[in-house]
Amino acid sequence: MSKNVAFPFPGLVKGMWVTLKALFKKAPVTMYPDVQEIPVPRARGVISLDVDACTVCMLCARECPDWCIYIEGHKEEQPPSKPGGKPRVRATLDRFDIDYGLCMYCGICVEVCPFDALFWSPEYEYSETDVINLLHNKERLTEWLATVPEPPALER
Amino acid sequence: MTTPEMIHRSETAVSIELQTPDMTLNIGPQHPSTHGVLRLVANIDGERVTDVEPVIGYMHRGYEKLSEVRTYAQITALVNRIDWVSGFANEVPFIAGVEKLMGVEVPERAQWIRLILSELARISSHLVFMSSYPLELGATTPLMHSLREREYILELIEEVTGGRFHPNFNRVGGVKPAYGGGSTTKKQSMDLPEGFFQRTADAMDRMDVICDDIDQLVTGNELIKMRTVGVGVIPGSKALEYGLTGPNLRASGVAYDLRKADPYLTYDQVDFDVAWRPEGDCYDRYVVRLEEIRQSARIVRQAIDKIPSGPLQAKVPRVLKAPKGQVYSRAENPKGEFGYFIVSEGGKIPYRLKIRSTSFSNLSILPWILKGQLVPDLVAIMGSLDFVLGDVDR
Repeated sequence: MSKNVAFPFPGLVKGMWVTLKALFKKAPVTMYPDVQEIPVPRARGVISLDVDACTVCMLCARECPDWCIYIEGHKEEQPPSKPGGKPRVRATLDRFDIDYGLCMYCGICVEVCPFDALFWSPEYEYSETDVINLLHNKERLTEWLATVPEPPALER
Repeated sequence: MTTPEMIHRSETAVSIELQTPDMTLNIGPQHPSTHGVLRLVANIDGERVTDVEPVIGYMHRGYEKLSEVRTYAQITALVNRIDWVSGFANEVPFIAGVEKLMGVEVPERAQWIRLILSELARISSHLVFMSSYPLELGATTPLMHSLREREYILELIEEVTGGRFHPNFNRVGGVKPAYGGGSTTKKQSMDLPEGFFQRTADAMDRMDVICDDIDQLVTGNELIKMRTVGVGVIPGSKALEYGLTGPNLRASGVAYDLRKADPYLTYDQVDFDVAWRPEGDCYDRYVVRLEEIRQSARIVRQAIDKIPSGPLQAKVPRVLKAPKGQVYSRAENPKGEFGYFIVSEGGKIPYRLKIRSTSFSNLSILPWILKGQLVPDLVAIMGSLDFVLGDVDR
């Protein structure tokens, strides 16, 4: 099978013309460590936890597709609100860990939370050299709460 | 002076002297031309491939089995990882199947948003092809141009859904970003962010420009034409026999497109042409995909004009339970027909989920088409079929 070998000059010139045009365009690259890109407000970066809102209902841990949320809690007896009333029982959170080594960032936990305790934050700079450090405990998850942005304005 | 007869005589002498028996060559599992971990066991006679056997399964993640122990909402998060260059398009047929099972009517605005994002996924998938295919043929410049433009598309998808690759945006009965809690945000319906239509229209203008650029860089290039024209010809009848769908089928002269043949979402309300070519060689498969980017941009522009305002979510029960039954639901994905066969015995999880993944069917033609081809053409043909190994092995 012998093919006619064409002289590639016209195609080369046309291609170089595209390259030349690109040369004078502004480069769309963000030089990352020096210049930080601002993620969109809806970006799913990291999950933050509002410990006070959490009622240890375990819905998020149950609905998680790869079961990467670990929750432990205990019941605490509170004094009755009125003298002579029944003592109240309140669930207290002992442990709330999310293993970001397993998490697949689907957002189901955030969506099913009925008490608004979980939020998405677009922060992304939490890579680790050791995989064990990707297990964020509840103190670390609470720290992310400050980075949760306002929801974006909506179309129409 | 050497005459052609003398050359011919000496070549015959060489092949008699040098025994050239068949040699088995393993291409892959790790090889730059295979788009992932595909292993080809090729029998080659000199430079000619006599027999090829694809060995798949290196990336088998067992999605069909995993789906049997997960709720419908959790499966949505799984299925957009099947074909990772067009994550949104994988969700659409699955969620449409569940909606068909449960008898949920989807609001019109949600359907239009699904259509827009499906077409954006198609553009981004084809732009990956526009970058990887010339790269396999030895041209590195188109990669820079098309991946740059793809980033604009991914930014749009991220802006709406929150994820660049894995949107997880479809819910049974509508669309909704997995955007976080908060009593303030819950009261609002989670619609598209402000200015999305304007930015999408701008991005579509960019797509026209990049299509012209790729046209100049690749389409008319003599070297690319020498590598692709007349190479790896699949006749239409063979393509149908092997169950090829999508651009690979349309390049073989069969203008079959599910968006026209069996309109889903709101594809019957937009005006577009089915891109097809008669020859069925690598060049045609490339040209069809380039034309599809233009058509997708055209669809998105119309959708922006036509999209009505209204609710995004139909009323569905909080715990999703599909009634007993079975349903097959399909859609035209960037790579072809993508289908889910869902069997439900009632309850929160499906009894069985069969995934008809496009790339698996498209890859099945490899042993037939690679027979008798040259080894360098093997790379050109495989690249032109545009398969993703995650989609093959699932």
